[in-house]
Amino acid sequence: MTIAPAMIETKSIIKKVITSEGELQILQPISFTVKPGQSVAIIGASGSGKSTLLGLLAGLDEVSGGHIMIDGEALHSMDEEQRARLRGEKVGFIFQSFMLVQSLTALENIMLPAEIAGLSEPKKRAQKILEQVGLDHRANHFPNQLSGGEQQRVAIARAFITNPKILFADEPTGNLDSTNSTKVENLLFDLNKESNTTLVLVTHDHKLAQRCQRQLHMDAGELTEQTKPLKVVSGE
Amino acid sequence: MSTVFQLAWRLFKHEAKRGELTIILLAIVLSVGSVLSLSLFSERLQGALTDRSAEFIAADRQLRSRELVDDAWLSKASEFNLNSAYQVSTRSMVFGPKELALADLRAVDANYPLKGSIKVALQAFGVPQATAELPKSGEVWIDSRLFQLVQVELGGNVDIGDASFKITKVLSEIPDAGFSVFNTEPIVLMSTEDLAKTNVTGPGSRVSYKYYFTGETSDLDDYYDWLRPQLNRDVHRWTSIEDDDSAIGRSIARAEQFFLLASLLAIVLAAVSIAVAAQRYSQRHYDPVAIMKTLGAGKSMVQRIYLLQICFITLLGIILGVTAGFILQQIVVMFLADIVEVSLDIWHWRPLAIAIFTGIICSVLFSLYPLLQLFSVPPLRVLRRDINTTLSSKVLQFSTSGIAVFLLMWVYSQDLMISAILFVSGIILVVLLLAVTHVLIALGRKLGSGSMGSWTLAWARIRRRAMGNSVQLISFSITIMLLLVVLVMRNDMVEQWRDQLPEGTPNYFVSNVTENQRIGLEVQFAQNNVTGGGFYPVARGRFVAINDEKIRTEVTKEDAEVANEGRQGLGREANLTWGTELQTGNKIVEGEWLDSWQEGEPYPLSIESQIAGRLGVKLGDELTFNIGSEVIKSTVTSLREVNWQTMQPNFYFVLHPKAVENFVPTYITSFSLDESRKAEITSLMAPFASVTLFDVDARINQLREIIDQVSMAVEFILILVLIAGALVLIAQVQASMDERLQELTILRTLGAKGWMIRFSVINEFLIIGFVAGLMAAIANEFSLYMLQTQVFQMEAGLHLEYWVIAPIVGALTVGFLGAIGCWRLLSLNTGELLRKMV
Repeated sequence: MTIAPAMIETKSIIKKVITSEGELQILQPISFTVKPGQSVAIIGASGSGKSTLLGLLAGLDEVSGGHIMIDGEALHSMDEEQRARLRGEKVGFIFQSFMLVQSLTALENIMLPAEIAGLSEPKKRAQKILEQVGLDHRANHFPNQLSGGEQQRVAIARAFITNPKILFADEPTGNLDSTNSTKVENLLFDLNKESNTTLVLVTHDHKLAQRCQRQLHMDAGELTEQTKPLKVVSGE
Repeated sequence: MSTVFQLAWRLFKHEAKRGELTIILLAIVLSVGSVLSLSLFSERLQGALTDRSAEFIAADRQLRSRELVDDAWLSKASEFNLNSAYQVSTRSMVFGPKELALADLRAVDANYPLKGSIKVALQAFGVPQATAELPKSGEVWIDSRLFQLVQVELGGNVDIGDASFKITKVLSEIPDAGFSVFNTEPIVLMSTEDLAKTNVTGPGSRVSYKYYFTGETSDLDDYYDWLRPQLNRDVHRWTSIEDDDSAIGRSIARAEQFFLLASLLAIVLAAVSIAVAAQRYSQRHYDPVAIMKTLGAGKSMVQRIYLLQICFITLLGIILGVTAGFILQQIVVMFLADIVEVSLDIWHWRPLAIAIFTGIICSVLFSLYPLLQLFSVPPLRVLRRDINTTLSSKVLQFSTSGIAVFLLMWVYSQDLMISAILFVSGIILVVLLLAVTHVLIALGRKLGSGSMGSWTLAWARIRRRAMGNSVQLISFSITIMLLLVVLVMRNDMVEQWRDQLPEGTPNYFVSNVTENQRIGLEVQFAQNNVTGGGFYPVARGRFVAINDEKIRTEVTKEDAEVANEGRQGLGREANLTWGTELQTGNKIVEGEWLDSWQEGEPYPLSIESQIAGRLGVKLGDELTFNIGSEVIKSTVTSLREVNWQTMQPNFYFVLHPKAVENFVPTYITSFSLDESRKAEITSLMAPFASVTLFDVDARINQLREIIDQVSMAVEFILILVLIAGALVLIAQVQASMDERLQELTILRTLGAKGWMIRFSVINEFLIIGFVAGLMAAIANEFSLYMLQTQVFQMEAGLHLEYWVIAPIVGALTVGFLGAIGCWRLLSLNTGELLRKMV
């Protein structure tokens, strides 16, 4: 019996930044592994380094030291072009501020990653997934003509169009009201389950984090595995 | 279609529809449109003016020769599709029934004149009317003066050489008569066929030949290229109106330089607006680029997508700009149709090529740095919105923009001097402005603290957005400076033109006036309410020695020909005058005027500075003249600058009256008589039959007309540049309003009162406009000084009024535009503002 390789594997990754007061290490050596299909929540207070870690894992930023393997590929030794290719092939993203291209329609926003990756029939794929998120009637609307919840559903559809192996989500419900948050959460986890995608989710919403299989806690640049159940604060 | 093309096209299509590209598109349209309309209009106008001025040489080009030229030269001209005509001129005695006089004999062929027209009158000194006819065989048309001199009537006969001719017309004017009150004999016009019959052009006679050519400029140039190797400098002289050193020639040359300057400034304005717009365009695309990179697009893909977008925008901008520019100049030309005859039929390709070239260079070079910034936006921006771009090199930005502007100016003007002057002025302005911005920041630090009012808020914002404001300040100042340069240049130029021919400019000259006649004329003028100029004594003298050293090299004939109008007359003999009063339009540049002479000192003499330079004469030199059999010696005590543009008798040499007290001079004078009193001239001059009268009214009117036309055209160019400048200012305010959106939204959301936000924004713009205006006025002085002294050969002076006007108008204009911009933003409710920010 062979053991499936880890989808994400980090070894002692650190991140340093240069400030006016000199060099500052904002991530302490971090090592952890995420298995394929696993859902992981990274929780922590604002400024704890969650988004920095997400940026490094997604190849949006470079590590100052240590190793990151994504689906068996050494992300830490890749240049910008190679990281872009990897993101296009294997990674999907969902952001707190939706990050839709304002001058493209909902349908075109969804088509965008498929076109960049050079997949066949991007429009058909986009229409299908737009239907899945229940926004086929809004296909030709521009982002500023959609509500926040609708925009995030478009963003989710965009994230899944390339069938990514990993989905990184940064506070996906942070900008939404509770009704829309629930809708978006459900959609995210349903699609995740359906496509067996590995999910890495950054949030400070404990309720959302609890829906993930694992919870990692970030505090002052240090990452620890959360073993105790999270305390859910009503209304959070 | 490739994915990249599809993506670029899709982005372009949507952004164009949603108005996202309006600013950059407008900038390109503006640049292409203004450059096209200005260059097309100025090219057409120059064509019209050159055509009009060509009348002064009766052709587009003229070949003057002292010998008959080979017939093959003329047949070659027709091979080059040129029309040609010729004139033979000589001096000859004309014999009337009782009197005789020396006349300027002009024999012309049937094609003469190729440009302009011959004017005739029904009686001597009558109202001139154009005619298409020419004297027939056996006929002559003679000058009004000759009727007086040889005492003959219209219809009578005169003998010239061996032939007799019937006088059938009073000749008022031929286009290329030239003008000089000295040494000019009355003209007799006849056909070339009759010239041989007179036998006056035999050996020993001084005959000159003029060959006239018209045709397309390229054909004329080609013909000249063919002809040039065969020309002999001593015998032939090829001229065009551009070589004309007369008042008209200079006015036109200056106007051409002004058009060039205006077009150059339009290019710079366009470049500034594109730079502003490209920066804004780039900043608005930071998010899409970060998103695309996050979704897997490599840098090269992003580069291709946005370069294609710029291509689409440039192409659309050029198409719209060419259309707008063409329509604009068509409207201006139609509006000007009654004043200037500008042909719309000829299509000039050069302006179109320049406009398209400008559009491409501007959009490519000025988008380059913003695009490089855009390409370097890291994907991490999707998580950290504060990250903008990793490329930040103001040196690179300023140097690429600077080089681009300079190259564009140089390529377009092909005039290194104008380009360098404007460019250096621009750099001085930028350096000045950077210093001022630092002062402003320091000031803002003091003024921007304290209780929150609209002024405090404005100062605080200026301090906070120091870099952004300095860029904005620079672009506002450059725009205002360029507008000031064009405005002041136009005012100074038109004023100087008009000064040449003020109201009451003499339109008649009288020469050969004896002492007795002088007294009689003075009385006659006074009784008839005629404003006369002064009477100047004149004697013709041969200039023979400098410091007793005989002159070997005389001033050549060519020099005399180059010298125009008033300058003529210094050939073999000089026209000398004397007096102790300095003539108007004369200025002592070295030494002391004659009135400082003391009894016992050598007789003083004043010499015109340019001729002094040519003759190698300096202060203290003793000059010797022979007047008749007398020898006159005088010492040069002053050099004078003479304004040859004034219509008054001007002299190279002015002697002290004591030096020539034994001579009985004749006098020359001038007077002005209104058009309405023209009929009085015969009765006015009747008692003075022997004096020589010159009617220069036609010449003055022609000059005045051309100056009016050029002034009018210059004014329209000014309006075009002002419109271009206003659009640039709007684009700049609009772009900066975009950057203010976030702050306005926050202030609004926090409950700041609308009026306070509005006034704070208006106040901020008022401050920026004021400073920009002041800086522009300072830089304007430098540019103008350099342009006027180095390029336009005009007198330069300070323009202090603009030190007050520019800051006030700058503050009001920029403040007003800012008010409109923020009114639009603040008319949105908080929700709409927040949505606009996303």
